[in-house]
Amino acid sequence: MSDQPMARPVPKPTAWSQPYWDAAREERLVIQHCNQCATRIMNPKQYCPRCLSDDLGWSESDGRGTVYSFSIQKRSPASPFVGKGPYVVAIVRLDSGVQMLSNIVGERAFDVHCGDAVKVAFEPIPGTDITLPVFELVG
Amino acid sequence: MKTTAAIVGTGEVPTGNYPNRTEAEAAVTACRQAILDAGLSPRDIEAVMPVGVVMGSRHFNTDLIFSRLCEELGMLRSVKLNAQVMAGGASGSATLKVACALVASGAVRNVLVVHSDKFGSTTMQQGIDLFATLGISEEWEAPYGHNANTAVALITQRYMHETGTTEEELAAVAVSMRQWGALNPNAMFRKPITVEDVMRGDHVCTPLRPKTMSLWADGASAYIVARAEDAPHITPTPVYVRGMASLVTHYSVSQESNLAFLAFPEVAKEAYAQAGLAPRDIHVAEFYDAYSVMPLLAMDAMNLCEGERAGSFIAAGHTLPGGKLPMTTTGGAIAQGHTGAGVGVSLVVESARQLMDKAGDRQVKDAVNAAESGSGGTWMDSHISILSREAR
Repeated sequence: MSDQPMARPVPKPTAWSQPYWDAAREERLVIQHCNQCATRIMNPKQYCPRCLSDDLGWSESDGRGTVYSFSIQKRSPASPFVGKGPYVVAIVRLDSGVQMLSNIVGERAFDVHCGDAVKVAFEPIPGTDITLPVFELVG
Repeated sequence: MKTTAAIVGTGEVPTGNYPNRTEAEAAVTACRQAILDAGLSPRDIEAVMPVGVVMGSRHFNTDLIFSRLCEELGMLRSVKLNAQVMAGGASGSATLKVACALVASGAVRNVLVVHSDKFGSTTMQQGIDLFATLGISEEWEAPYGHNANTAVALITQRYMHETGTTEEELAAVAVSMRQWGALNPNAMFRKPITVEDVMRGDHVCTPLRPKTMSLWADGASAYIVARAEDAPHITPTPVYVRGMASLVTHYSVSQESNLAFLAFPEVAKEAYAQAGLAPRDIHVAEFYDAYSVMPLLAMDAMNLCEGERAGSFIAAGHTLPGGKLPMTTTGGAIAQGHTGAGVGVSLVVESARQLMDKAGDRQVKDAVNAAESGSGGTWMDSHISILSREAR
């Protein structure tokens, strides 16, 4: 077991996920799909998980969805997150049907419940060229 | 489904923090116990199936893969296959499935399954950091501060939302585990606790409080699977494997389509059908925990609570020693200790011990049939097995 402190985990885009991170940097949420069988794909993949086609594309999402579940990390997170204060991890079900892991942010984040409506927001990771899609409660 | 395999022997060393006990020493001891318990000689074993090591040394894991146990325990030139099977927390159920298939196929007689790992010297932060990477997608989950605790917290929150289960009921699972742990000489935590004790602990991540979670420990356990037709000639107390159902549902927990129940409802139905048994036939439930929500959803899926919610059934004390349906009689990871992939192996061992009438102070009287569950990774799969004193 290494004694090195764990570094802040930062996504390392792959050839097939680069368009997702490029869009996020422009504050757009895009969802991968298969041009052959129309399957919506999340998390982004090399091949379509339904028909194994490599003919994949991207469509713009309006970033709206609902909270499928959530947890407020109050203490004892992994070392890169120590001292950041409580934060909300959630699974969001986008209106287009795909699910993704993210954070709920904003003033009312700690009032979150299962089923709450959310919309996408964007948070750059300081010192990197990565922007993370996150979500805020709406309504 | 005709029964083709049976467990004929088990072994286990105490779980806890044992800085002076090596992983190899613990593995050899557990294997020796299992062989002696079955009344076999080492040369009767034809396959050795070590489970993967999570926190112990890589050297030890390689020794397991490279047949060290065959040399240590006199199984050279009788063992035909020494190969690792690793499915994280599901390794008990997964090894049982593979071992049963091996003997049923005729490829080998008598498979020895063993797990040994060493967590006790790991610091809390090292463990938290490790479980913020294992089973967590580096690109899609880790950047959000997600980890194994939040993964099960997401399952727990959704389970509570869909069923109305309360935090006090989650706490009652830990209370049940600790009462069984008090009767288990191999358990790390042997002092009973109350719901109030659990609720006094502040949330680590909602809705999880510390005593509904588990602590890492050193441990080792082993069991032997034989052909059903050989089993009664090996031991007077064979434990037949009547049903084994399982399904993989995700890698990233965010991609789980039934977060509250995973695939436990489907696999429970299939396991009952294979076994030719019904909920009323199950006398003891050895359900995988690591966290308190997991036995709850297995109890619901197996329909073992007489129409009640599992949370209220457990809070009413029905799973405690002397209760209607004893559950996880080792005390599980919560009381016995979390040995990594070994928790599930120890539950297979305990299922067999109960049905062999060898469970000591924990013995469930007249137990004929037991159910066992498992789930690995960030609860990537759902396994249920049904074991019995009687072959089908």
